[in-house]
Amino acid sequence: MNTERYQRQIILGGFGIESQQRLTEAKVLVIGAGGLGCPALQYLVAAGVGCIGIADHDVVELSNLQRQVLFGMDDIGLPKAEVAAKRLQQMNPETELILHPILVNRTNVIEIISGYDLIFDGTDNFESRYLINDACVLLKKPLVFAAVSGFEGQIAIFNVANEFDISTNYRDLFPVQPGANEVPNCAENGVLGVLPGIIGTMAAGEIIKLLTKIGKPLINKLLHYNLLSQEQYEINISPSDEYQKVTTEADLMNNNIENPIQSYLEIDAERMIELSKKDSTLIIDVRERHEFPRLNANTFQQVPMSEFDRFASSTIKADHIVLLCQHGIRSVAAAEKLHQKYGDTKRIYSLKGGIAKWRNHFLTF
Amino acid sequence: MEIEIISFGKISEFIGNQKMTIDCGTTDELKTHLENIFPQLAGMKYKLALNKNLVQQNSEINNSDSIAIMPPFSGG
Repeated sequence: MNTERYQRQIILGGFGIESQQRLTEAKVLVIGAGGLGCPALQYLVAAGVGCIGIADHDVVELSNLQRQVLFGMDDIGLPKAEVAAKRLQQMNPETELILHPILVNRTNVIEIISGYDLIFDGTDNFESRYLINDACVLLKKPLVFAAVSGFEGQIAIFNVANEFDISTNYRDLFPVQPGANEVPNCAENGVLGVLPGIIGTMAAGEIIKLLTKIGKPLINKLLHYNLLSQEQYEINISPSDEYQKVTTEADLMNNNIENPIQSYLEIDAERMIELSKKDSTLIIDVRERHEFPRLNANTFQQVPMSEFDRFASSTIKADHIVLLCQHGIRSVAAAEKLHQKYGDTKRIYSLKGGIAKWRNHFLTF
Repeated sequence: MEIEIISFGKISEFIGNQKMTIDCGTTDELKTHLENIFPQLAGMKYKLALNKNLVQQNSEINNSDSIAIMPPFSGG
């Protein structure tokens, strides 16, 4: 270890050469080299973490550059893990970088994370987040969680016991993975580039605190950060009994089914019209009441998404249920809800592209 | 009684932060009340925190308590 490189932090009271040594000996896996992963990687490498794994299967795109600060114009189309490693190695040749340029999935997650002391989740989707969480629970790996939405961010530390020997994980916060389309991601919702920069850097700070045992890391706490107001709100997480804790690899597999068998069918307007002729078909418009165009109430029963849960808890007699909305996005969420209730006992359809796409077909009703 | 509501993410777009006068004695009652006055909430995953402690089971609410309403974030 080149102590001159780390001199500014070694001289810190409460840090010292011992803490630096702990960083040198640490093995950290960063999953997702995106908006959160880039700044976290930069500071972890700069701080002298001895070994860092970078897991990302994506390539650099132009729209990434607004927030993913390890990448430049020349990198567009190149694998993020490789480009990031090249830049980071230049910054600090002392850190050993291990590349995992693949999608972390339920068959490889155990193997990938088992070699590391601490995992950072900087991914951008719930499927990966729940999978990583469950794998970390199973292997008892400390997990630093960070996520952003719009102008706000969340950070937490899971699977690290507090002084009362209590540890929590993401399922204690949100036991059930939200369905696709239920919560908008950055691509749909947008994100101000500097926000993941702040949150990713805060996460790097938490990782360094955990590894060097300094300060009060966010163990069993969820920190909310709001960029617009510069407000932070910290809540204490306690264990939940609403879910079954992962204890075997089989649990991990069952909890994280990939590409679930299509639970509903996405159909075009022709098929919808065909189905509408059957007596056993119910067509539901899930748009809110103020939305246009208004449809013929005799054919299309209106159940706005905001009232859908209440509706779904009643018993539906129809065997075929077609859901539609303006663009075919909310109707997918509604279809998933109905599928959760009825499984394969009813055929559930969503009108792909929604009313916007098939506007002319609705004139005939 | 009067409580303080603090909300985050998408939920803050329709609830925001506000003082609210309620006649609910428990967090379960409050959830039902909130979902009635803000129907959008009913279709969302969210968690409550009562005075900065995550609500894991039905809990008593007292005057001037603060209730945070949090949705999950996935973006990275």
